[in-house]
Amino acid sequence: MTDISPAALELIDVSKEYAGSPPVRALDGVSVRIERGELLAIVGPSGSGKSTMLNVMGTLDLPTSGVVKIDDREVSKFSERRLSAVRSHLIGFVFQSFFLLDGVSAVDNVANGLLYSGVGARKRRERAAVALRTVGLGHRLGHVPNQMSGGERQRVAIARAIVNEPSIILADEPTGNLDTAASETVMDLLRALNDAGSTIVVITHDKEVAQSLPRQVAFRDGRVEHDTSLAVTQ
Amino acid sequence: MTAAIEEVVESQLAPASPNKLPPSRLLPADILSVGSSGLRSRKMRTALSALGIMIGIAAMVGVLGLSESSQADLRKQIEALGTNLLTVSPGGGFGGGDGVLPEETAAKISRIGPVEVTADVVTLEQSVLRNDLVNANETSGITVVAADTNLLSTLNGELSAGIWLDEATGATPNVVLGSVAAERHGIIDVSQGIQLYIGDEWFTVIGILEPFPLAADLDRSALIGQPVAAELFDAELNPSIVYVRTDPNFVDDVRAVLPATADPASPEEVEASRPSELLETQNAIEDSFTNLFLGLGAVSLLVGGVGIANVMVIAVIERRNEIGLRRALGATRAHIRRQFLTESLLLSAIGGVGGVALGVFVTWVYARSQGWDVVVPTLAIIGGIVAALVIGAVAGLYPAMRAARLAPTEALRAA
Repeated sequence: MTDISPAALELIDVSKEYAGSPPVRALDGVSVRIERGELLAIVGPSGSGKSTMLNVMGTLDLPTSGVVKIDDREVSKFSERRLSAVRSHLIGFVFQSFFLLDGVSAVDNVANGLLYSGVGARKRRERAAVALRTVGLGHRLGHVPNQMSGGERQRVAIARAIVNEPSIILADEPTGNLDTAASETVMDLLRALNDAGSTIVVITHDKEVAQSLPRQVAFRDGRVEHDTSLAVTQ
Repeated sequence: MTAAIEEVVESQLAPASPNKLPPSRLLPADILSVGSSGLRSRKMRTALSALGIMIGIAAMVGVLGLSESSQADLRKQIEALGTNLLTVSPGGGFGGGDGVLPEETAAKISRIGPVEVTADVVTLEQSVLRNDLVNANETSGITVVAADTNLLSTLNGELSAGIWLDEATGATPNVVLGSVAAERHGIIDVSQGIQLYIGDEWFTVIGILEPFPLAADLDRSALIGQPVAAELFDAELNPSIVYVRTDPNFVDDVRAVLPATADPASPEEVEASRPSELLETQNAIEDSFTNLFLGLGAVSLLVGGVGIANVMVIAVIERRNEIGLRRALGATRAHIRRQFLTESLLLSAIGGVGGVALGVFVTWVYARSQGWDVVVPTLAIIGGIVAALVIGAVAGLYPAMRAARLAPTEALRAA
């Protein structure tokens, strides 16, 4: 396999061990390659290592061994400060419980996605308004989180994740706190963003959500149990 | 300048070398809004924890303001009374002398060149009674004094009612009461011709004096004329005190020659003093009280600081998710540390500014009630705010470090 264009995100033989007695091996020799423009699910039961996958892919945590590359940058060698830069410019996060700041308007919550990238306040708000329109909340700019439904809040969080035009969006159980209808809206939004070119990884334990996406990487006991894209190529 | 150029160069290089990412950056303009976000969303708690600092600062500013105002008032009094007043009185001395000044002392002193005016008073043994029926021991602690008619002008004294003793009134049984003496006898009005029973004779009250800050003894005196004292009580007119007003430029010189002038035979038995020095001593005593209260203010400031540290530690624990989110959005540890330090500084700055305002207000109210001019030292205002900020910085340091050290993965764990 020779590739000319670099992967959006690539894990090569990544292991992550947590100290303790006995030590816990949360990831065990994981290799996953995510191309630009992909939409995939990382799926598995709790304890399968998918949360650790999120942390390692999102540079929130470093692997014990192996290589993590984002946009051809070997981030597993980066210092703490440079990892912050990676998160501020290259990664967008979406969390199960949204993590919006209470009492802060939707547009300012979204603008916070650019807070640490050195963009001026006015520009941040302009781009936040654009992002909110992209997720269909152009009419909710001034609303604060507790004036919004769960589905709307998650869409605000998604707007925050895309506002810095990241190389990859990591969504951790994005529908975990939502009812069926809201879940579908959110998944449709992610698919639409993917159609527009975004690379999106959805981490979920929900097989149904995973099945609705073009590619699934199934985890069990810290290993890749099944990767649909490899199954096709092999 | 160089930093700006470096930045431009860096951004130009960025596309060429794909591994070069611009660093995370929190603009200086944003630090304040980020640092105040936590305070804005918890207003009640912000107000209460700022209150702790506020009370401490207000106490210190108030103490400094009040002491400064009262000292300014004392200085004003001293100035009004003049530092050129000297007193001569018989002292104990070593010779076991009789403790008596010669009768003509005042006249001799007034011959010293720079002396402007003198007045002597003679303390008499007689008692002052409301009337001839009360117990002769109920004198209310009031002394009868035979005063020179010059006394009022020498002391820059003033009457609150009635008239002063002159050649005529001083030669007949009339009495002028010191402020305390009048109060003890319950006399306010002198137009009724109220009479007091002094040493078996009836005297008419013709005047009441304002207090003498430099001669407080006179406040507790009933003053009669020297001629009438000599006539009715057969008193020897050896002065108990001679008040001397001198040219302000020669106060020390005059003071040096006073004993020998007053009693050439035994100058060591004469005491010459300067009453304004007593007021200055009083100033110094008030200073030490000020220090005590400042110490108390400092303690309450410290307690306020501990309160802020406490609130900040709680904030860091409560806002773990926010810290995690900010790290996920690209904040560095330094950004998180700066955020919480700013928050703590803002909290203490609110307390500091509020405390200074409260302290000035308290000073204003109290000084006005005492009839003082309101003086708040600039140093107290600046010092109050600086002290608050220092406390905020110290109190915020540990919580901010804790927030910064929190691993993003741990911070993001759902609460």
